[in-house]
Amino acid sequence: MNRHLILALFHNMTDENAFRPLLDGFPRLLSLCNPPDRDRFGGIMAPLQLAPSLVILSTRLYPESRPELVGELRRLYPRAEILLVTPGTDPLPQLKRIADDRIRHLFVTPDHDAEGILSLRQAISGLLTGSPWQLRDYVRPGSRVHEFPLNSSSQKELLIEAVEHAIAGDSPEMELLRQKGALLADEMVENALYGAPRGDDGKKLYCKGEDRLIDDGEQIVFRYAFDGETLAMEIADGWGTLAPEMVVDFLSRNQDGALAEDGETGGRGLFIIWRFLDHLHVNIRPGRKTVLGGHLRAVSPLDWESPRGFSISTDYACP
Amino acid sequence: MSSSLEISARCADSTDYIELRGNIDASAEQQLQRLPEMVRSQVVRFDFSRAGRINSMGIALLLRCFKHIREEKKAEIRLRELNPTNTILFKMTGVFMLASHEK
Repeated sequence: MNRHLILALFHNMTDENAFRPLLDGFPRLLSLCNPPDRDRFGGIMAPLQLAPSLVILSTRLYPESRPELVGELRRLYPRAEILLVTPGTDPLPQLKRIADDRIRHLFVTPDHDAEGILSLRQAISGLLTGSPWQLRDYVRPGSRVHEFPLNSSSQKELLIEAVEHAIAGDSPEMELLRQKGALLADEMVENALYGAPRGDDGKKLYCKGEDRLIDDGEQIVFRYAFDGETLAMEIADGWGTLAPEMVVDFLSRNQDGALAEDGETGGRGLFIIWRFLDHLHVNIRPGRKTVLGGHLRAVSPLDWESPRGFSISTDYACP
Repeated sequence: MSSSLEISARCADSTDYIELRGNIDASAEQQLQRLPEMVRSQVVRFDFSRAGRINSMGIALLLRCFKHIREEKKAEIRLRELNPTNTILFKMTGVFMLASHEK
């Protein structure tokens, strides 16, 4: 991993200093504050002949103040992954531009504590090595992972009850976690049952709420783990129909609730999953498999309005 | 918590009181489609104290239902006794653009 060059772009020194402790330990890190504007950026960077594997980009710089930056980075460094980073205390960035620029990774640093440092390092390491996010990354080592292969839509309520039952404790935090866990399990299963199955024409094969049996070939499997503090959940399906570029587009469409009065926005279930999780991961093998999951904590440093992260992986190494 | 939605309505003091019991999801479609017909007053208070889980399909149905009540019945909608998760859910999905939260 030490061979990988990381280019990090920040709005200013304050922005850089906030992230600096989180980036210690990566020896080939080139950090740049207030990069030159559109006309000069390419002219200055191209002669340096850099070949970063990863570009870290602060949301204090992009998309609002420098919307053109990702286009320029993609032109200069077509092979580099781009990771957006944002402090949990900042507002959620506008997703429209992020969706249009096909950004696939947004990481939120809740606080510059040990957990935040570890998580960002994990995220960077995962991107550099091509490793997808996985459920067991979120919970303490040794936590039991429960697995439910589904063969009928009627199993959904049993599965939700199992999640609720696993979260022990009567505190308000645990009650809230149970409510959120039940809702997220519901949305994840609905996505796999009714959103994923599509015909050759791309149209959905089943209506929401329809009772149906699940063919073995669909390989719909729900997993969850709870370590006393963190609930991690994910659902896998063997359809692989969720296009990577659609994920952020769905989140973007629902961001402001502006379309709410029309009733239908598309992707509302995915949006709800993302907003309730601390971090959403979507691992896609097109036409073969989709894994969608994430985690949430009983006591989260993020309030409901805080930004949430996402990671969308496609050509990842098999775990 | 009942898994399928049950709705009861009464009218008093120029206000319709509607109680929703159970989960609100795709199975609630017909009931929520018919609900605007129950509205007789200019103010409608929805009691969610016995409502359970509301998923994205339930949100879509509620939005449609509230829109009909506002546009066709010209009634004001007030929501009460929401649990913390449903409160967050309504905030993030824009339900409170159509209905006020009465605490």
